[in-house]
Amino acid sequence: MATEPLMLDEDEIVLSELADDELVEQMHEDLYDGLKEEIVEGTSILLGRDWSAEKVLNEALVEGMRIVGIDFRDGILFVPEVLLAANAMKGGMEILRPLLSETGVKPIGKMVIGTVKGDIHDIGKNLVAMMLEGAGFEVFDIGINNSVEDYFEALEKHQPDILGMSALLTTTMPYMKVVIDEMVSQGIRDDYIVMVGGAPLNEEFGRAVGADAYCRDAAQAADTAPRLVRVHRAGGTVGA
Amino acid sequence: MIDDPFPTRSAGRKRGGGRKARRGRTAVRAARLRGSVDEYAAWIERRIPCFEVLDAEALELIEHNADTVLEEIGIEFREFPRALRLFRDAGADVDGERVRIPRGMCRSIVQATAPREFTQHARNPKRTTIIGGDRTVLVPAYGPPFVHDLDRGRRYATIEDFRNFIKLTYMSSGLHHSGGTVCEPVDVPVNKRHFDMVYSHIKYTDKPFMGSVTHPERAADTVAMAMLLFGEDFVPRKTVLTSLINVNSPLTFDATMLGAATVYAENNQATIISPFLLAGAMSPVTVAGTLTQILAEALAGMAYIQLVRPGAPVVFGSFSAAVSMQSGAPTFGTPEPSQVLFGVGQLARRLGVPFRSGGGLCAAKIPDAQAAYEAANTLQTAALAGVNFMLHTAGWLEGGLSMGYEKFILDADQANMIAVLLQGIDLSENGQALDALREVGPGSHFLGCAHTRENFETAFYRSTVADNNSFEQWQQDGSLDAARRANGIWKQMLRDYEPPPLDPAIDESLVEFIDRRKSEFEDRDY
Repeated sequence: MATEPLMLDEDEIVLSELADDELVEQMHEDLYDGLKEEIVEGTSILLGRDWSAEKVLNEALVEGMRIVGIDFRDGILFVPEVLLAANAMKGGMEILRPLLSETGVKPIGKMVIGTVKGDIHDIGKNLVAMMLEGAGFEVFDIGINNSVEDYFEALEKHQPDILGMSALLTTTMPYMKVVIDEMVSQGIRDDYIVMVGGAPLNEEFGRAVGADAYCRDAAQAADTAPRLVRVHRAGGTVGA
Repeated sequence: MIDDPFPTRSAGRKRGGGRKARRGRTAVRAARLRGSVDEYAAWIERRIPCFEVLDAEALELIEHNADTVLEEIGIEFREFPRALRLFRDAGADVDGERVRIPRGMCRSIVQATAPREFTQHARNPKRTTIIGGDRTVLVPAYGPPFVHDLDRGRRYATIEDFRNFIKLTYMSSGLHHSGGTVCEPVDVPVNKRHFDMVYSHIKYTDKPFMGSVTHPERAADTVAMAMLLFGEDFVPRKTVLTSLINVNSPLTFDATMLGAATVYAENNQATIISPFLLAGAMSPVTVAGTLTQILAEALAGMAYIQLVRPGAPVVFGSFSAAVSMQSGAPTFGTPEPSQVLFGVGQLARRLGVPFRSGGGLCAAKIPDAQAAYEAANTLQTAALAGVNFMLHTAGWLEGGLSMGYEKFILDADQANMIAVLLQGIDLSENGQALDALREVGPGSHFLGCAHTRENFETAFYRSTVADNNSFEQWQQDGSLDAARRANGIWKQMLRDYEPPPLDPAIDESLVEFIDRRKSEFEDRDY
């Protein structure tokens, strides 16, 4: 192309020189582009300007990811780009999380997630974990092949809002019911929201095993989880 | 006066039962086209060359890169010490569960003892098939938790659906093998359903079948049932089961699959080592990168089998699709996986082992246009790529999540077409048809000449489903689309089904075995 050489210096944006509203807008752009370092830097700058952690979270990060979510849904953003955005969000959250808990602000949500016993497939589960981190959740991924005991230990340790279980195999998905039945018999079922997912599941199966929600994909999980947490905290029944 | 082109009484022509026998709708026509179960072929003998997309230099590059993966990155054999031990003894570098294999080692292990082809015996010797070489064996879809039909929509599969698909496969001339998990009967407890599944493959069909792989114990039960059917001394000597062992790609084998594979190999039963790749998620996004990974994984798995029991039949499997980079959803019938399929066929032939891939793959939810074209793309590709064991030939919907009754009928029709396509061109005297050309000469037509009269019944492939009538005729027949016509056909087939006879003493021993085993442990859903 017959244009002048790019003046890189002029394009370079110095975040700390931006006014608050410009910086927030730039952070939305940087989240969209999946730039973790820039998000970490922007988060620190806003905190340094005496923004509350809660305000940074909502105005800079959550709003930015909301835009990402819309463009993912509309097929403009691709999966690898959304994962990068979620990873950038996670970078900001790591700074905000301790501050949020200090000030007594309820976190967006906590989730324990793992693939059920007998099943070692985790690509879908990993996607859900990353998408939820992108939605501001604190996610404790306990990996694959989890027994009732593994799930209970993680619930006890992390005290999450949500228990997420995944399965890829028809021969392992019934184990979800084993876990939920055990929660019921120990009287802790209503303390948690239970979300289930995986290719061989459907709504009907989710209901039959006693889960609160079945999500068909990671995007739907990221959409459903915050909603259920709000309802659950308000004391409502989240069951579908 | 010209010669009557349609003589009513031709020498040697038999009565066909007249109008009565010919009349009826699609289902009756389909029944006629199906012919007698007794006459069905046990495989397709390929007489045309395979379609190849890579030259020797390209193949060497992929093979070199696969060896680099095995040597440098390695393969994980998770929670299965026996594999680690066998590979260490064979000269591999074992670090934790990671096995790094010296360049060329897997290839030489496989080539030293793995058979180029093998016979899989069926309880009816006429259905005993050969897997490998220039043969293609077509097998129904495997694994769907759901079934779909036009009347009831999508629902979880039951053991009744499972039996239905075995019966439909038994009655389909284009399908040579009964398959395995034709759908997952989720109404039966997880830890006992393999008994009912294997029994159904024994009872309702006499075609060869596949064994359970969801637990080593279930593989052992499958072998025990095969021994009751074929005899205790027959089974370890002969192969009567071909079972599906998936790689937990990327570059990982898990204890469940390795456990089942080991049981089968020890009993001289065949396994299909299948890298399961959705490119973009489980393998690189490029064709060459995916081919490299498939070869590395398959080589490692097949070498393991040969280390367990040298000479145990093993098949180079490949299941390769791509994911949508926009949503992460698997896609099917697209060009890149077709390129992979052609390439894997070449790699398998160079290695000298049978090759499994293909099928009527699609992402469509219902038997619609998408289902038809995506499935046709993969079926044709697989046929031309030289697939020996074509799993998923019939029934596949929705990326394998659903087994479709109507889709099954549509695919079974395609299966029959593949048989004709691969037969190649008849160049016999009759095929050359000079007699016909001489008899008819310029002008006139061929519809009544002697050569046509002798050949017309088998000359052209006749679809069981396609409607080739005039618009008006089609309207009179109810304006049915292909799926509606297929709906009538599968129902008629199930009504017409007659089980192949099974020795009552064997049947009794199987039922006894199942009852005893089922009573030995509690129902469990994992």
